[in-house]
Amino acid sequence: MTKLLLIGLKDLKLAFRDRAALILMLLAPFLLTLGLGFVTGRFSGGSGGISEIPVVIVNLDGEQLGDALVDVFKSDDLSELVTLTEADDPEAARRLIDEDEAAAAILIPEGFTQSIMPSAEQFAGGNAADPVKIEVYANPSRPTSAGIVKAIVDEFASRVEEGRITGMTAVTQMIVTGRLAPQDAEAAGQAMGERLAESPGTGLGIALNTNTASGETNDFDVLAYMAPGMALMFLMFTTSYGGRSLLAERSQGTLPRLLVSPTSTAQVLGGKVMGIFFTGAAQLFILIGASTLFFQLKWGDPLGVIALVLAAVFAATGWGMLITAIARTPAQVGNLGSAIMLIFGIMGGSFIQLEALPEVVQWFSKITPNAWGLDGFTTLALGNSLAHLGRPLLALTIMGAVLFTIAVIVFNRKGIMQK
Amino acid sequence: MKKIFAIAWKDAIIRFASKAELLYFVILPVVFTFLLAGGTPSGDEDNRIRLLVADQARTELSVQIIAQLSESTAVRPEALPLAEAGSQFDERRASVLLVIPADFSLQSLQDGAASLDLRMQPNDLNGPVAQRAVQTAIRRVSSAVNAANTAVTEAEAARPFASDAERQAYFDQSLGLAARLQAESPERVTAVQGSTPDQVEYDPAANSSAGQLITWVFIPLFAISALFAYERNEGTLRRLLTTPTRKSTYLLGVIGGQVAVAVVQMLILVGFGIAVMKLNWGRDPAALAVILVASALAAGAIGTTMGTFIKTEGQASGLSIMAGMVMALMGGCWYPLELFPQAVQTAVKVLPTTWAMQGMLDLALRGGGLTDVLPEAGVLLGFAAVFFTVGVWRFRYE
Repeated sequence: MTKLLLIGLKDLKLAFRDRAALILMLLAPFLLTLGLGFVTGRFSGGSGGISEIPVVIVNLDGEQLGDALVDVFKSDDLSELVTLTEADDPEAARRLIDEDEAAAAILIPEGFTQSIMPSAEQFAGGNAADPVKIEVYANPSRPTSAGIVKAIVDEFASRVEEGRITGMTAVTQMIVTGRLAPQDAEAAGQAMGERLAESPGTGLGIALNTNTASGETNDFDVLAYMAPGMALMFLMFTTSYGGRSLLAERSQGTLPRLLVSPTSTAQVLGGKVMGIFFTGAAQLFILIGASTLFFQLKWGDPLGVIALVLAAVFAATGWGMLITAIARTPAQVGNLGSAIMLIFGIMGGSFIQLEALPEVVQWFSKITPNAWGLDGFTTLALGNSLAHLGRPLLALTIMGAVLFTIAVIVFNRKGIMQK
Repeated sequence: MKKIFAIAWKDAIIRFASKAELLYFVILPVVFTFLLAGGTPSGDEDNRIRLLVADQARTELSVQIIAQLSESTAVRPEALPLAEAGSQFDERRASVLLVIPADFSLQSLQDGAASLDLRMQPNDLNGPVAQRAVQTAIRRVSSAVNAANTAVTEAEAARPFASDAERQAYFDQSLGLAARLQAESPERVTAVQGSTPDQVEYDPAANSSAGQLITWVFIPLFAISALFAYERNEGTLRRLLTTPTRKSTYLLGVIGGQVAVAVVQMLILVGFGIAVMKLNWGRDPAALAVILVASALAAGAIGTTMGTFIKTEGQASGLSIMAGMVMALMGGCWYPLELFPQAVQTAVKVLPTTWAMQGMLDLALRGGGLTDVLPEAGVLLGFAAVFFTVGVWRFRYE
């Protein structure tokens, strides 16, 4: 056991003395996490979503409903989401979109209010006024922002339409049942509209009770997902780097020297595996510590985090050993290891959430330590404890054991560990 | 000129000495482009958020709610028994679960007791989007009932009903009228896509194709620094000292060769985009050529400057990957720039990846032509000029 530890600690020291390796082991995941924090607004007090969407609004209606829509976009509720510019000329507004200066232009045409407010003729069963449509002129290269603007305008239009239907129904029914004279309909409708506007009631007739899985509010911290994703992706680099050292020692002649010493093959291999394991665990603990310290990221139950890190490193070490067993030269391990790091990164959800990937990829992601590790870290970030990590811990342990067994078989067949 | 070609050819041979280079040259870029485009599907695929619905009521009203949700552009309802839906939700295989309780009916709505339960995963952006979609569906379904209730209240204020039966009949008639008005309700909002010259339709796969192209071309061009480190450590750079070769000739040979290889790589990826992903890359080949070459020159010049600071091949390789990934992320190659805070959108204009991505999207999404990409190409050539000058100034054979 002492020999195992000595070999393992020697490899750990070598890894942390190699500046080139440190770039990808620590610096790259840290900087990418930092970059993700910036681009998602995590460090600027944002909630991790879109903000300050540039919107141009042209109100040619100038009456009650046109003004109301402008007020919606000026409201405090949307002050962080939208940066509003009012304009007079629809063509100038469209030009701003075509020149990519704004995400969307809202054009409220003249007569919009008049086309919605029911007239006496309509109450009497006459033809409805031709609908006058609000135009949302969307920037094709900012589809998400434009989509949000369209959704806000849709919701406004939907509320306006609800009010119209409510007024039309109430007034028409009163006329039909003789409670209201047709000539008084328009005035009664307007009075009702004002009354409803002053006391809109509960809004929805159906209550929507919302709660998250853990019973808390749905606060979104993008780093709670991205930081473990990046750490796990570069863990794969570390484990293949460790495997590369085995072949490098062989080609440099230090491995045969070890094997002629009173040290068994199993001890040497075990020591190398332990070195990879120590390095990977140290890498993850440093990254977790740094993100906790610098980004105030909450990783959750410490015991759960430790167990998950050890299990994830064990599984990744299995992959590192298998890559080493398959490859012929240290350079091949490096190339294959980096490629697998990137493929597992994307398949395992380090770049985008697994749910957004095709189903077949989601299925294949189960062979990656990244997917199971991320599953576990997300579980912990949601406030769960070690007791809830059964599935990811079991999956990672089985993965590591199976891969390690296969690697040993391939090592023996290829005679890599022969004296 | 011969020297430049000779140096370029020698570097190409060194780079492709290992077959593994093909992994990074074409296989990984294609895999990433394909998978990331799969993450933002286009065409006939249904990319709405999956909303699990456990309908325990199975009443006319619950069916109406599900029907409204089916018409949503944001969510895709999937009806499941409560146990199975709950199990999927607990295993985080779905972002949102809507439970319609057994007592959910028109009567409970009239009594003001109707409610739905929406369960959302914490830390999941899909939750609030789905919540909005469910509220919209509720609003549409309940608005007719609300209108009928208001009609009853207004009528009663004008003249009380003689009996409960009369009130109920009035409510039913009002509900019918409100439902008819709702069905006849015209569209009040129209969405028009920005007028691009030939009305190119937005295709999210174009984002993925352009972003991955830049990522996978910039990283090996930054790795020109590794070529310098390799030659310096092998002593072959010193040998050049004994030949009548100027620094600029050597650097032009290295950069020219790697840029030529990068252009071939880009053309393969563009071809993949056109043939497999049906992207509109080929509508203005001259503009495409200008932006591709300008991007490659900028990245190559940055790699040259990096090579004058870095000592070992290992460091150069690691730094190239790191710089390439960070610049790609910050330049909007992985996630659309529009999602970034405004201040960050402005700050990242110091990166060549931002300008390269902007130029690519001008072509792919905005239907731009040669004149539209000239500003971006100009900035990229500016990057190339500055970094090439710094590279020549700092370059040492030893």
